[in-house]
Amino acid sequence: MKRFVVALFAVLIMATPALAEKTKVSFWHAMGGDRITLIKEMCDDFNKAHPDIEVTPEYKGSYRDTLNASILAFKQGKAPNIVHIFEVGSQLAVDAGIFMPFEDTIKPGDDAKLDDFVDGVANYYRIGGKFYSVPFNSSNPVLYYNKTLFKKAGLDPENPPKTFNEVIAASEKLKASGAAPYGITWPLHCWFVEQWMGNQGALLANNENGRAARATDILLDSEPMLKIMTWWKKMYDDKLFVYSGKVEDWDGANNLFISGQAAMLITSTSDITFMQKAAEENHFELGTGFLPVADGSENFGTIVGGASLWMTKGHSDKANDATKDFLLWFTNTANEVRWHKGTGYFPVRKSAVTELEKENWFEKNPAYAAAFKQLMATKPVRSTQGAMLGMFPELRNIVTDAVQSILNGADIKATMKDADARADKALERYNRSVK
Amino acid sequence: MRKTKHLFTHLALVIVVSVVAAPVIMAILFSTQTPAQIYSYPPKFTFGTAMLENYASAWNQFHLGKYMLNSFIIAVAVTTGKTILAFTSALALVYFRFPLRSWVFIFILLTLMMPTEIMIVSLFEIVTGLGWGDSYAALIVPFLASATGTFLFRQHFLQIPSSLLDAARIDGAGPIRFAWSILLPMSSNVIAALTVIQFVYMWNQYLWPLIVIHDSSMQVVQVGLRMVFGGQDATNWGIVMAGAIITLMPALVTFMLLQEQFSRGFALSQEK
Amino acid sequence: MQPVFKRHGTAFLLLLPTLVILIFFLYLPTIQTFIMSLYQVGFLGLSKMFVGVENYQIIFTEPEYRDIMVNTLVFVLGSVSLSMALGLAFAVLANEKVTGARYYRLLLIWPYALPPAVAGVIFLFLFSAQVGIINYFLGLIFGITPDWLADPELAMTVVILSTVWKNVGYNVVFYLAALQNLPGDVLEAATIDGATGWQRFWRITFPLLSPMTFFLLIMNTIAAFFDVFAFIDLITKGGPSNGTTVFIYAIYRDGFEYFKSGLAAAQSVFLFLLVVVLTVLKFRLQKKVHYAN
Repeated sequence: MKRFVVALFAVLIMATPALAEKTKVSFWHAMGGDRITLIKEMCDDFNKAHPDIEVTPEYKGSYRDTLNASILAFKQGKAPNIVHIFEVGSQLAVDAGIFMPFEDTIKPGDDAKLDDFVDGVANYYRIGGKFYSVPFNSSNPVLYYNKTLFKKAGLDPENPPKTFNEVIAASEKLKASGAAPYGITWPLHCWFVEQWMGNQGALLANNENGRAARATDILLDSEPMLKIMTWWKKMYDDKLFVYSGKVEDWDGANNLFISGQAAMLITSTSDITFMQKAAEENHFELGTGFLPVADGSENFGTIVGGASLWMTKGHSDKANDATKDFLLWFTNTANEVRWHKGTGYFPVRKSAVTELEKENWFEKNPAYAAAFKQLMATKPVRSTQGAMLGMFPELRNIVTDAVQSILNGADIKATMKDADARADKALERYNRSVK
Repeated sequence: MRKTKHLFTHLALVIVVSVVAAPVIMAILFSTQTPAQIYSYPPKFTFGTAMLENYASAWNQFHLGKYMLNSFIIAVAVTTGKTILAFTSALALVYFRFPLRSWVFIFILLTLMMPTEIMIVSLFEIVTGLGWGDSYAALIVPFLASATGTFLFRQHFLQIPSSLLDAARIDGAGPIRFAWSILLPMSSNVIAALTVIQFVYMWNQYLWPLIVIHDSSMQVVQVGLRMVFGGQDATNWGIVMAGAIITLMPALVTFMLLQEQFSRGFALSQEK
Repeated sequence: MQPVFKRHGTAFLLLLPTLVILIFFLYLPTIQTFIMSLYQVGFLGLSKMFVGVENYQIIFTEPEYRDIMVNTLVFVLGSVSLSMALGLAFAVLANEKVTGARYYRLLLIWPYALPPAVAGVIFLFLFSAQVGIINYFLGLIFGITPDWLADPELAMTVVILSTVWKNVGYNVVFYLAALQNLPGDVLEAATIDGATGWQRFWRITFPLLSPMTFFLLIMNTIAAFFDVFAFIDLITKGGPSNGTTVFIYAIYRDGFEYFKSGLAAAQSVFLFLLVVVLTVLKFRLQKKVHYAN
């Protein structure tokens, strides 16, 4: 009998950790394709190292879908602990008031190393000097080009075009030599417009891009903007630029480049791993370069793109602690290196960069280096910090509408003036609703 | 002379029918091709080599199988529920006398002018307020009541000769037995017609599930089709077309097999 | 005289589920939509500001919404007229006494049963500038390959064509039924009098079909306001340059992408009133038809 009791007791003790309740943390993200598996693996590793916490990642679709899903969940009181929100949704997220500023959850003793975030990234995600969200996947636009086709056209494969005019010249040569039917392509997305404004040092909105105070005026008909549109239209008319016809068609642009219809592609550096594979499969040499800048302008660099991770309010302290621990782990040095190697998004921590440099990663993988060098070369001014606007989704549509009108023949100045008026009105109404 | 006219008519009909069928035939053809075959120029108008892969991908990788199950469940639930509720409402309206009866009928009839689409924003608020987001309840409950169905059953009941019913009454039958043993068998045509129309209608729903379902395991098949476009890699049109063919099958098969009932239900529901 | 039960309680119970659902899921949201249209509702409903008729002002005066009105008008007129004209033509064809008429009928009608999403996806594929069959044939025969989805007018054409393709069967069904109900003696008399087929059609058949034509006009119009959503969401997303944004799409976008619920509500009210007017018209016309017969 005694032995039985002892055995029972032993079994119970061994079973207790299994019976102990794990703190559950739900993590909704918008990283599709291979990244779903990568994130799952990373979360599994965390769960193994922290048996009292269980992080469950879920892929919710595009950034928009993820945001909408979170809204739905929030309305029903079932918001996930972590929501993945795109960079331009930051003002909206702050205004919504349903997220906890991440920095506030950090306790003394947590090894947060907030200063370890790369400057460009920290610049973007520090709002009013505080980190509201945790930077996670950051990218910027790079110029991908087909070195094989460049050689065919008699262009220097190690010297990609750096300015608007150089792009025109290269495209003309590519076309004339028959190397490719078109010179260049990129998705019809407002992101690129924002980038070309940033790298000319131009503001998208007043009050220092909405960073010094809430923006009240959007600047869509400025000189730098007109420069962008004029160049874009000229290349479209001269058949140097091609696009799939659909708005925000990242896949379509990738296809045009991979199939050799366009010898150059501007798209996110987050596709670098995919691009390298595609180049191998299609037997061409891949080159990468900086985003071309408008002629006559200093190149101020690029705005950090991508998204960050936000913590929702309304959970227990225990859950918040667990969430914070996970977020710090998920974006720590080792994991940033892992994430970068697996995707192409650049490492957002300086220590991660140092590690990669130590193993000569960037030399061995020059394609990954371009985006990074571009980030390092970016000057920390308001224009490259990016604009903070609550109605960004609507603004992006206004801009892409304007671009399509222009490509279809509308007058550039008039169209942008119109777009500017529309944007200002939308901003005014938005601001009114958050007073 | 008549023969030529007949020939001409046949020819015209064949041409028209072919043009009408062409999009789906194209879809079927391309659903069997690999991306390379689809992108080839000139396009190949023959069956490709990727039929199994494409259909399997659409079913598994893009979860169309699961979505179809969801669609099926809600279509059956709504169809059953709606038919029952319409039947009982018409029963009350025709065979019972109670105060305000005509007002109740008008109350129900007025909803004919309230398609779900005009109230999606506030319906969303109401449904999420009940905590039904991402659930079958959100897709089923708002559609359980039907002015159309009630009206149809009512018209049908009014046309049943009273002699038949008087006989039953004399028998001493109560309302429930009356409905069950007499009305129900006599209404089989209406029920069949209504069922077919409702099933197809629920199967084809798009806007409402798009708004209220964000959990992919609960999504319906029409919205699921949209998700086949996602991902990092290029759109594989072969798989998309396979998905389209899979998705249209149940609606089409219902229509073909139950064509009689479909047309009847259709005609009935439009002549309100 | 229908046999009548007098148990009010049972009647009440029988009607209760229907009434509850109609009240909570139809009447209530409709009323709330009216109310919401008078407010500017912030993101997530976290703020609400009374703005009176401002939302209505926006949708009736601002240029983007004027464009949306025009787009809606163009779409409705285009798709309804084409769908009805073709529906009538096909019905006349299918009404001929040829062998296998039943099968021809079936083969003309079936796209109507197709889910709009499927039809949308198929047309998106067919009109694709890169792999679309349409452009292949156009290029072969006419030497042109229009960029269907990049031009606002062409994109609208695609949306109209896909809608017509899917809905023509509806009109065929009804016109066929009407054709088969036509009084044969009038047409016979006309044939004896020497009228040609063409004359017989336009002078006799078509006028006799006018009640059905009016009925279909209204039903097609009401459907055109709503059923086109799946097509637009899948094929054009309202673009390019807002060229295919019609009201139902704008309602979805304003409500669920821009989070401007009040504005979406105002547009919903507008559509609702249109539906009411059309439905009332339909009832009036049907009464006329019944009395005429």
